[in-house]
Amino acid sequence: MEKRLTCMTWLLAGTIILASCKKPKDDDPITPPPVNEEEVINRITLHFHSSHDAEHKHFEFHDADGDGGLAPVITADTLSHDSVYNVELELYNTTVSPADNVTEEIEDEHNVHQFFFQVSGANAAVAYADTDDNGLPVGLQTVWTIGAASDGTLTVTLRHDPDKTAPGVSGGDITNAGGETDLEVSFPLMIE
Amino acid sequence: MIDDHDREPLAFAELYLPEPGRHAMADSAGRFAITGLCAGTYRVRAAHLGCEPVERTVTLRADMEIDIRLEHHAQELREAEIVRNRPDEHVGQANAQVDKAAMERGSGRTLGEMIAVIPGVTALNSGPTISKPMVHGLAGNRVLVLNQGIRQEDQQWGGEHAPNLDPFSSDRITVVKGAASVQYGSDAIGGVVITEPVELPREGPLGGDVRGLGTLNGRGFGGNALLQGGVKGVSGLGWRVQGSGRSMGDSRAARYNLSNTGMHEAGASASMGYRDHRWSASVFASWYTRELGILRAAHIGNLTDLQNAIDSGEPWYIGDRTREIDAPRQAVAHLLAKAEAGYAVTERGRVVLTYGYQADDRQEYDIRRGGRSTTPALDLHLVTHTGDAVYKHWIGKRVHGKAGFSGVYQENINVPGTGIRPLIPNYRKQSGGAYVIEHFTVAEKLEIEAGARIEWTHLLVVKYDMNDVLIRPEHDFLNHAFSAGANWSVADSARARFNLSSAFRPPHVSELYSEGLHHGAAAIEIGDPTLGSERAYKAVLDLESALLHGRARALITAHAARINGFIYLRPDGYELTVRGAFPVLNYVATDAFITGLDAAFDLRIAGPLTWRLRASTVRGRDLVHDEWLFQMPSDRLENTIALAPRSKGDWKDMEIAVTSNLVLEQQRIPAGVDFTSPPPTYHLLGLSASATRALRKGELRFGLRGSNLLNAAYRDYLDRFRYYADARGIDIALWITYRFGGNN
Repeated sequence: MEKRLTCMTWLLAGTIILASCKKPKDDDPITPPPVNEEEVINRITLHFHSSHDAEHKHFEFHDADGDGGLAPVITADTLSHDSVYNVELELYNTTVSPADNVTEEIEDEHNVHQFFFQVSGANAAVAYADTDDNGLPVGLQTVWTIGAASDGTLTVTLRHDPDKTAPGVSGGDITNAGGETDLEVSFPLMIE
Repeated sequence: MIDDHDREPLAFAELYLPEPGRHAMADSAGRFAITGLCAGTYRVRAAHLGCEPVERTVTLRADMEIDIRLEHHAQELREAEIVRNRPDEHVGQANAQVDKAAMERGSGRTLGEMIAVIPGVTALNSGPTISKPMVHGLAGNRVLVLNQGIRQEDQQWGGEHAPNLDPFSSDRITVVKGAASVQYGSDAIGGVVITEPVELPREGPLGGDVRGLGTLNGRGFGGNALLQGGVKGVSGLGWRVQGSGRSMGDSRAARYNLSNTGMHEAGASASMGYRDHRWSASVFASWYTRELGILRAAHIGNLTDLQNAIDSGEPWYIGDRTREIDAPRQAVAHLLAKAEAGYAVTERGRVVLTYGYQADDRQEYDIRRGGRSTTPALDLHLVTHTGDAVYKHWIGKRVHGKAGFSGVYQENINVPGTGIRPLIPNYRKQSGGAYVIEHFTVAEKLEIEAGARIEWTHLLVVKYDMNDVLIRPEHDFLNHAFSAGANWSVADSARARFNLSSAFRPPHVSELYSEGLHHGAAAIEIGDPTLGSERAYKAVLDLESALLHGRARALITAHAARINGFIYLRPDGYELTVRGAFPVLNYVATDAFITGLDAAFDLRIAGPLTWRLRASTVRGRDLVHDEWLFQMPSDRLENTIALAPRSKGDWKDMEIAVTSNLVLEQQRIPAGVDFTSPPPTYHLLGLSASATRALRKGELRFGLRGSNLLNAAYRDYLDRFRYYADARGIDIALWITYRFGGNN
């Protein structure tokens, strides 16, 4: 009887020890909470408004999973020849829900950000229509003067901490800008 | 010829008469004879290994006998008690040491820079303040760092993660250049950097030293202090407390300021130990913290930025010099606590149990929008428990060795709140190993070693995959290692050592599970969960000899290693992201073959003048792709001329040395892997001077070190920031140490 009791005690003790060794999955201290990525910008939209709001055109770059495996989706409307458009730029982080409007963050820190619009092959000229606290351009609002029908590419670059006073930079020339690139996206630019 | 102090005859001492050009060597009784000389006046020079050479003028008229007395440089040994014959811990493994004096000469340098004076040891740098030890071309996870005998676990996988420890918590740093997994466990593929546990004083008065130092480049200043002693009334009990601190602002390259490269670091350690004939016990605790800035110009957004940086040849951001450290920056803290107990089970056997606890915290701050620059972008908390049980024994008269078990339990956690997908996931790692190493003294001059180890590692990773689903993959790795070596004293002054060993390294979580943009590397890195352990086989031949009757010493180490399953990043196309296109790098395995040669040569030219030569070459080959391996050190040559004037009054141990450092351009590179070609050959001139002044109580030591005295503008291939800026320009460091008390 006593031997049995001792045996049982050991068995019980053993089971308890083994059971406690297997950590229940939810309580495991190394289980991470889900991550909300705050730095990501993955949707860039350019809204083109012609004078008197007659036309609305859109360019959009959307990389649904941020830096992940899915390829980005790029769409660009065709622009009308010999027109002037007011263009508004919007940035979003859609990897979080609800989507985060990053445009506001850029506006809050507009002194250290500048957008550059490089057009090649098409007849379009871009002029800045907004300024930061120092009277230097930002690029969230621009005015585009479109010429004759042509096809080319548009590259939109966002620089963080550029030297806005370096030669050419405040006119939209990226050559001496410096800073770090937070965005560099290309769109097909088609003018009819 | 006899010794000035103890009147002992100086066997095989040399005698030289410059005018008639006659040589003689004394016999084993110190007697010499030169015959057939004409009458006249002669200068006579006498020399003996370890002695100050002596010159005398002798006027010879008839046969005459002269006594020449030479003074040994070596200090008289104090009375020493030999408790136990300490077996050579590193039989058969090529190793080199940086002793306390050499560490002092490295004041103001990081651990990586301090040991880079050893041929075969280089440093993988990230700018002027981050230095990772590299042994025979291998670094990071392939070089094990032991802190007081405990495996240092401080996120060593990272290219910009320097070891988080204060070298001055130890008196001596040993670098084992070889595959040493049998003795040390996994990761010891390239070598092992050992900060040796201190020998605590067992009795006696208070002793210690205090050092203050300043460096010109970076306007740095700092100090170390050490206090140790025995405990009155308790023989065998000793203690030590030690602390270090250093602060510097931006470093400066030859032509411009390296903005945001300031550093502040501090460390403290305390230990206490007891030893008698049977028992020994010790406890040790150290804490180390460092904050450093990452070169602002090295912070880039995308490949266009990188290309602009490479094309311009100048950092895109150069600001005024400041002590302030802004984002991007790193803040690390490392705590180590160790307890050890030993018991002499028999006269010839001793059991030692060791437990170590480490907590490593690493925060990396990036430049972020929305005021988030003060929230870390990477926040890692790593806790490691290590346990060792070893039985050190003597079997018979000729065999001694050790057998034991070691275990590691580790948890890595990303502290929530960064708002960024973690760079490496949370994981739990457990490993256990058993090993045995035996040394056999075959003959008086020949000692051989053999050993084996088996080790099991279990890895549990908990992370969200790219679809935000929580997954818990597990891995098991079973590895073994062997070692065989021989240490042969060929002659009184020559020694040969050969070692053939294997080592292993289970893959790290970053190699298995990376999947995303690694900003610091401007690349998308993709891990492979199917990767297996690396297995290395290394042969090292070490030859050391005194030459020219003791005037010269030569040391050559030849090594060859084959590493199967060598894991590295290989480019495979590009991927488009919002920041533009980035190269995609996959972690893949190949078979690597790394060979090389280290050489050291010391020659006492004349009197106090010495010439020292250090050289090394490494060749690393990717056998599967038949190309060179990336990021291997280039050939280098260092020449030093040193003058050690003899003691004068209270002044002693004086030396002034000029060093020329030549680092050749690395031409053995794989095609299409790097962003730009390696930087050209460069040459640096250095100076060092030191002197000791004896005081009534203790001594005062002065030291000066100048580096890059010609203010050369250069870049080093092993510096990850070479795309953005030049390396450090001219620098001068000055220190003063006051040493007092006994037991030093």
